[in-house]
Amino acid sequence: MSAVGRAQVMNFHDRAGEKLRNAGLQRALRKAKPLFVGKRAKGIASLAEDGLDFEMLRSTGKNIRNRTLADLDVWLDIFEERAKATGAEVLWARDGAEVSRLVVDIAHRYGVSKAVKSKSMLSEEAQLNDALAAAGIRPVETDLGEYIVQLAGETPSHIIAPAVHKTIAEVEALFAREHGRPLETRTSADIPAMAQEARAVLRQHFLSAEMGISGANFLIAETGSAALVTNEGNGRMVTTLPKVHVVITGIEKVIPTLEDFATLMRLLPRSATGQSISNYVSLLTGTRREGDHDGPEKTIFILVDNGRANLLGSDYQDMLRCIRCGACMNHCPVYFSLGGHAYGWVYPGPMGSVLTPLYTGIENALDLPHATTGCNQCGAVCPVDIPLPALMHRLREEQNERGLRPWSERLALQAWAWLAGKPRLYRWVTRRVARYLDWLADGSGRIRIFGLAPEWTAGRDLPVSSSRTFHELYSARKKT
Amino acid sequence: MSARGDILERVRRGVGRDDFAGRRAAAIAALGSAGRGPQPVIGADLVGRFRAKAEYLSSTVVAVATQAEAPAAVAAYLLANGLAGEAVATADVAGLDWAASRLSVAVRPAVDADKTGISGCFCAIAETGTLMLLSGPETPATVSLLPETHIALVDVSRIVATMEDAFALLRAERGSLPRAVNFISGPSRTGDIEQTIVLGAHGPCRVHLILIGAA
Repeated sequence: MSAVGRAQVMNFHDRAGEKLRNAGLQRALRKAKPLFVGKRAKGIASLAEDGLDFEMLRSTGKNIRNRTLADLDVWLDIFEERAKATGAEVLWARDGAEVSRLVVDIAHRYGVSKAVKSKSMLSEEAQLNDALAAAGIRPVETDLGEYIVQLAGETPSHIIAPAVHKTIAEVEALFAREHGRPLETRTSADIPAMAQEARAVLRQHFLSAEMGISGANFLIAETGSAALVTNEGNGRMVTTLPKVHVVITGIEKVIPTLEDFATLMRLLPRSATGQSISNYVSLLTGTRREGDHDGPEKTIFILVDNGRANLLGSDYQDMLRCIRCGACMNHCPVYFSLGGHAYGWVYPGPMGSVLTPLYTGIENALDLPHATTGCNQCGAVCPVDIPLPALMHRLREEQNERGLRPWSERLALQAWAWLAGKPRLYRWVTRRVARYLDWLADGSGRIRIFGLAPEWTAGRDLPVSSSRTFHELYSARKKT
Repeated sequence: MSARGDILERVRRGVGRDDFAGRRAAAIAALGSAGRGPQPVIGADLVGRFRAKAEYLSSTVVAVATQAEAPAAVAAYLLANGLAGEAVATADVAGLDWAASRLSVAVRPAVDADKTGISGCFCAIAETGTLMLLSGPETPATVSLLPETHIALVDVSRIVATMEDAFALLRAERGSLPRAVNFISGPSRTGDIEQTIVLGAHGPCRVHLILIGAA
């Protein structure tokens, strides 16, 4: 990770304030949230019409992922053997820098001057576009959202809706500049025309690029295939037209069989966009066959570690089940207050708050595991049942164990631990605190300005539940 | 050490289990008897279900009794939508009498200028209203991808209940996977500008299905 990226992660707290004051961003987020939540709810509800139960389906999905991770060395070996047998090449990369080096080498080997890309979050981890541009190869993002973000010189703010933070006026300004035409006033009625405009421009790129770069939603060990799920069809273009296809994907993405894939496909699109299936689901196996008129002459897989293997067997192994649907961020009050860029690295929302410290260093992202209300909406909607709040909690514990928290916080925790071990004193102190808070609230049940932590009450009141402690209420209730 | 060696060593340490050879043999054996996850209850009317789901995903559907009626149905669709009577087609539908319906159909891979692509399909899935197309010398993937309009001929005898059933059919009839298996569910779409759904992103804007044997 670059020094700039690291500095951004460290500044989560400052950036949060800036994002809250960004009116355009706040408008975009307010519009998006109910759509994301509503679509998923409808998609999940539709399972019942077919006699399927979400909990049962997700426990099956979870088991598929757990089973694969338990023997990941074996499944990677089988995938590699079978992918090679279909004529694909399989390369491995320890980190992002190695990914970039391999892709640039491949581009040079095949005389590539332009690469069209279907969405790949791993290429963001590797900062691949910068590396390609530096080597004189033009990377063109072809997912409409990614294209917008690339024109803006930004990074995606959401893993499945990269430009969710952009308003229509901002998109129009980018299109007018890039497509060399006068700026127009646009309303939502113009969105189809704008999509059409991008389609025409990107079509020419698809037809002229020598290399296609994609991620993979899954790798299927049984057949040595990459599975690619898109709605726009750019995934099909990128893997059908250019003469070279490079698949960049994490080592944790492998699953055993086509049947496992079918099960996970009942979970992934529903959790992401509420769709029962995405418009295009492609299984790509090997290279152009004898007599074929289309398809790449060369298919190369790059299997990437970049911190993943270290999670195996650790307290954080559950995170490797992630199938990148985005449901956790779509249901996160923190994400929808700030947008994805506040998180400072590739992955936003709850999954990002876990992955960023694990992949870039716990000491480099101290704020992120605290960027949570503890509401567990993310855990409840996760299609593979990742206990996201518990993983964030474990990261906070680790920060404390490693002395990475401020001395005042550590001292306060130590004082609390000491007090909690002395029941009589604990009850005496908490009684005093409850009375004090009640006095501050002045019988209204709300504290308007809380002097000990003024930030808490800067934009809201602190509710006070009762003038009596839980212990007092409990013993009073036992007596009646 | 090579990147491969490094990574697999780290993975092995993380997995923390011995007997690689034994576990690998067990994994290979498990592949042969792949079990299915929870299956949806689709009911007996696969054609009705397929049609309803395909229409829900913004495909249009007409039914004809026999394959011979397909060209007339295609011609009627193109006319009704103000589209020209020219198309590119895959070889699996080349045998039909397109000329009789005054259609000019070229059997070849599609190019950018082609406005309409006509294809068959390997099978179709009732659960989601999805087509399953296989790439191959006779069935180039570009025909269902580059033109703005994709018309697919679907024999109702090829409609199966689920994706698992489609894989079973593929294993039985082909044995192995072609370069590309493409599951297509309606026209391409994007929601990337202000979450507003637009049909026709990079793939076809219109998908029209001719159900053969259902009328």
